[in-house]
Amino acid sequence: MMIAGYNITKQYVSGGMFSTNKAVVKAVQGVNIKIKEKETVGLVGESGSGKTTLARLLIGLEEVTEGTILFNISDGELNEYEEALKKGDEGVIKRIEGMYDITKIPRSRLRKLRRYMSIVFQDPYSSLDPRMTVIDIIKEPMIATGYLSGEEANKRVLELLEKVGLPKWFAYRYPHELSGGQRQRVAIARALSTNPKFIALDEPTSALDVSTQAQILNLLKSLQRDEGLSYLLITHNISVASYLSDRMYVMYAGKLVEVGEREQVIKNPKHPYTIVLMSAVPKLGKIMQRVPVKGEPPNLVNLPTGCHFHPRCPYAFEYCGWNAVEVAEDLKYLLEGKYYDIGGEKIKVDVLSELKIRVEGLGYQDLEKIIKNEIEAVMSFKSIDSIKKESENAVSIELKEYITPKLYQLDDGRLVSCLLYDEKFINRK
Amino acid sequence: MIELERNSELKNSLKIFFTNPTAVVGFIIFIIYVIDALIVQFAPWLLGIKNPNVLQENFVNPIPLPPSAQHPLGTTYPGIDLLKAIEAAIRIDLAFSLIIVLGGAAIGATLGIISGYIGGLLDDVLMRITDIFFAIPFLVLAIAVGFALGRTYESMIIALIIVWWPLYARYARAQTLSIKRTPFIDAARIAGVRDFKIMIRHILPNVLPPIFIQISLDLGSVMVIFSTLAFIGLIPNASLPELGYLTSLGLNYLQSAPWAVIFPGLAITLFALAVNLMGDGLRDVIDPRRRSS
Amino acid sequence: MDKVLEVKDLELKFVTRRGVFHALNGVNLELYKGEVLGVAGESGSGKSTLMLAIGGLLPSNAWVTRGEIVYMSKNIIQELVKEGDTKYVKKRNEKALKKLNEKLQSIRGSKISTVFQDPMTALNPVLQVGYQIAEAVYYHNPSVLARRILARYKATKDDMREILSILKNKEDYNEKLLKFIKGKNLEGLEEQVLFIWERNDLHDIKKEKLILSLAGEKVPRTALPFLYKIARSNKLERTPILSRFIKRILIKEGYRKAVEILSILKVPNPEKVVYMYPHELSGGMRQRVAIAIGLINNPEIVLLDEPTTALDVTVQAQVLDLVRSIRNKYSSSFIFVSHDLSVLYEVSDRIAIMYAGKVVEVGSKDEIVSKPLHPYTQSLLRAVPSIESEKISPIPGEVPDLRNLPKGCMFHPRCPYAMDICKNQEPPMYNLENGHKVACFLYGEKK
Repeated sequence: MMIAGYNITKQYVSGGMFSTNKAVVKAVQGVNIKIKEKETVGLVGESGSGKTTLARLLIGLEEVTEGTILFNISDGELNEYEEALKKGDEGVIKRIEGMYDITKIPRSRLRKLRRYMSIVFQDPYSSLDPRMTVIDIIKEPMIATGYLSGEEANKRVLELLEKVGLPKWFAYRYPHELSGGQRQRVAIARALSTNPKFIALDEPTSALDVSTQAQILNLLKSLQRDEGLSYLLITHNISVASYLSDRMYVMYAGKLVEVGEREQVIKNPKHPYTIVLMSAVPKLGKIMQRVPVKGEPPNLVNLPTGCHFHPRCPYAFEYCGWNAVEVAEDLKYLLEGKYYDIGGEKIKVDVLSELKIRVEGLGYQDLEKIIKNEIEAVMSFKSIDSIKKESENAVSIELKEYITPKLYQLDDGRLVSCLLYDEKFINRK
Repeated sequence: MIELERNSELKNSLKIFFTNPTAVVGFIIFIIYVIDALIVQFAPWLLGIKNPNVLQENFVNPIPLPPSAQHPLGTTYPGIDLLKAIEAAIRIDLAFSLIIVLGGAAIGATLGIISGYIGGLLDDVLMRITDIFFAIPFLVLAIAVGFALGRTYESMIIALIIVWWPLYARYARAQTLSIKRTPFIDAARIAGVRDFKIMIRHILPNVLPPIFIQISLDLGSVMVIFSTLAFIGLIPNASLPELGYLTSLGLNYLQSAPWAVIFPGLAITLFALAVNLMGDGLRDVIDPRRRSS
Repeated sequence: MDKVLEVKDLELKFVTRRGVFHALNGVNLELYKGEVLGVAGESGSGKSTLMLAIGGLLPSNAWVTRGEIVYMSKNIIQELVKEGDTKYVKKRNEKALKKLNEKLQSIRGSKISTVFQDPMTALNPVLQVGYQIAEAVYYHNPSVLARRILARYKATKDDMREILSILKNKEDYNEKLLKFIKGKNLEGLEEQVLFIWERNDLHDIKKEKLILSLAGEKVPRTALPFLYKIARSNKLERTPILSRFIKRILIKEGYRKAVEILSILKVPNPEKVVYMYPHELSGGMRQRVAIAIGLINNPEIVLLDEPTTALDVTVQAQVLDLVRSIRNKYSSSFIFVSHDLSVLYEVSDRIAIMYAGKVVEVGSKDEIVSKPLHPYTQSLLRAVPSIESEKISPIPGEVPDLRNLPKGCMFHPRCPYAMDICKNQEPPMYNLENGHKVACFLYGEKK
């Protein structure tokens, strides 16, 4: 196994030592990921999904807040590790982590491992040092890891230039003399220089033209075949992901929502977010009936409770994560708008706790009527458990407790993080 | 073909610089000063100066004389020929300014790069230290250090270096922070390059150009400040040729012999102006070039 | 169908320190009333430059050597092209562009508006978004704002009650409403009334309350004559202190109009959004603000330059759906530029393909996608990865250097069907059936 990641979590605290207003950004939460040798894993998601952060963690560019990342471990030892995790065998866990966990091994050893991993970035304009020549750029990883040096390194640079389709005399040019596609090839040559086993590709073609993109994608595909590489492809472009990936991981707001084989995830998505995502991609020659979705990806400091996708999900039901703030907002909106005649501005809606709301100035019958009328259109009302008359003038609303979905395994081997696939709710579909 | 491309880069930048008339003027004036300093250093007799480190006083005729054939710029008290004195003083002031600016830049840039790259507690602490330095007016600081170390030219130089380095630290840190984020730095880290090497190989070369421009601009400012300190009498050593000191000598004769104040003062101002124009020209070369490529 | 805009043989070069870039090399394009024309092309195709030229936003080193852009029967770039001009003279060009800018003030932003790719840079970060939308109306159509205010000022509660009875009548209220408003000289009231009435998130009672409250607006007595003048002449008041005072009144009205248009663009809580700053809004919201600014003066032509490229896929989908739905409400014609053909397929009626500064093929979207004729279009379609395709074929070679274009057909060095004639002559545009046009000698014989 090339990479095996367990419970990877990354949080940022904004503000330095002297600031008082610190916010916690939950970039990645509890992600498990496996990348096999010679396979391409596509990591897709939109802004705020955490995919870029996850990639940077896996490659050791940033430190995890929590989690284990085992690199280049044999299948046998991996099994041992997972068994030990189940049984809680501390000894085995510590031993294996001590050997393979890039978050825990000493820095000197990590540096030696660097030989086997590299990265290609999105922007070919800023991923190459403008003050270095092409040959120096490609040589740098070889020299830093001690893989090759001197004349041998120079020879290898020429070989690599040929492999990526660039003429040899490019070696003494500077990045600003090359086109976008040419720079990206230099970046790929650099990534290949130490004969790695794993390459992270962060939106490798997003900044390129269509025709250049096609060239680079085909180059990447053939290189994988010839050199036996593992790729982690991070992209928001589903078509590109579909072209290169074997398996796909879909992320939303820092969490995994769906994991499966490429065909499955793209042609037959199961998680509501994946369904929405796949239908949102414009397809040449067809005007599709979109699965409608409102709103935008959430703010990572103030994530929705329960399932992060529930406020936008077209299939959300009562346990998905609705809280009192959301219900109160929806209720207020109706009272000020459609149901203005019932009392208009005189009604007060207060949030008492995460699951409790108090309404003043509205009669019990009226509230019941509103909820009954609107429950189909206003999804948050589905989470209302009970309404109680508190006094002459006040009614309280209590919500059902929400459940945070885990990753559930489906029959076809997929993992989906949606309550609809929890055995308790299987009948909801 | 490759060689051709690289040379044309240099030619291109020179072309851009020399098409800017004010920059060229500044450059010429700057060169004149530098040539003067070099001549005074290595062949002072060419200008008729016997000892470039001492002002040639003439107590026989101490009253300042107006410009004449014998003294093209006139004389100042006590009987010092202004032309020779200014020529000698330029060397001193230029040298001092260079030492101060380069010293401050070296210390400041190094600290700034390290602090910016490593971040964390070190960075916070350095920022607070530079804040403290910025809060103190430079004149006060220079005077304080001067008194602590003794009022000599050497201590003034040290004082000004101490005043000057925070600026470069801040500047270099800001540059480092913005470069740190770029993918090519990440790529180097992933390739296994050690932090120290990254700072030297990647960050420093990219931080240097704007710092270089700042250095050239500061040469003018520092010379003005240094001569101001000498002018107000902070340095008691009376006989070293120095523009501020020279200016102060003529102060008592401002009404009757204005040239005694004007000429040395002009020498300072002209240098600051020239250096500013030149620095602007340099900025045009370095910045938009990057943008257009 | 009426032609709203025609670009004829436009040739434009950019003169820079690094050489002369031949950005547009004889562009021919027609835009018909009410259509959405998609323009596809990669970098160097000239699509963005073409937008700048049409929108009147050319930089000072843009040198137009040939051609016309015909709008409202006039060549709007007439100043820039001098007959027999062969040398670029910087000062003369700058002067011509300056004159052009002045002439286009009345068109740019009001009759031809532009929506750019990155809403963060297209919006002023220190002004509220409502202000920026209001400004767009204030500078181009202050009479609209003045009329709205005056209409509310003149209207009485009785007028409003009559209006309500017309609206409640349900059949054909649009016509009757307009007739009534015209009769009572209350132009400017109809859009305000209809906006409230057609909202689906309000109870009827609240709607009535709001409509009734439109009547009898208090207007400062000193402002009245100026408002009348502006309503008639559509020119801004210039006297020093007074103009500030009037501006404040008109901008406030602009905020109200902004709320209306944001609501049409499906922005939630538009009453709150107008007081927010761009950085407080998400990318999709900002782009809607930019589109609002582009649409609010009911322009004849809206130019959209990669408006969805910087957005997430799901947000892009929302914006594309939006563009499709509002085109029926506004009678404007749209030019939508993108490098993504599948996006263009979704929104456009016709698609034009550009390469190296020329339009090489144009046709209905279905024709282009299912029957691409030009070899470049065919290669482009084969090179795009899609969920369905198993294989993508890149186009060999590279996009030509605009400083050194190939002779003859620009595409011939990369074309699998290149013939001898292609190397020496530039192909003309052949008109095939269904309005499908191709600039390729392969289609020359068929006639």
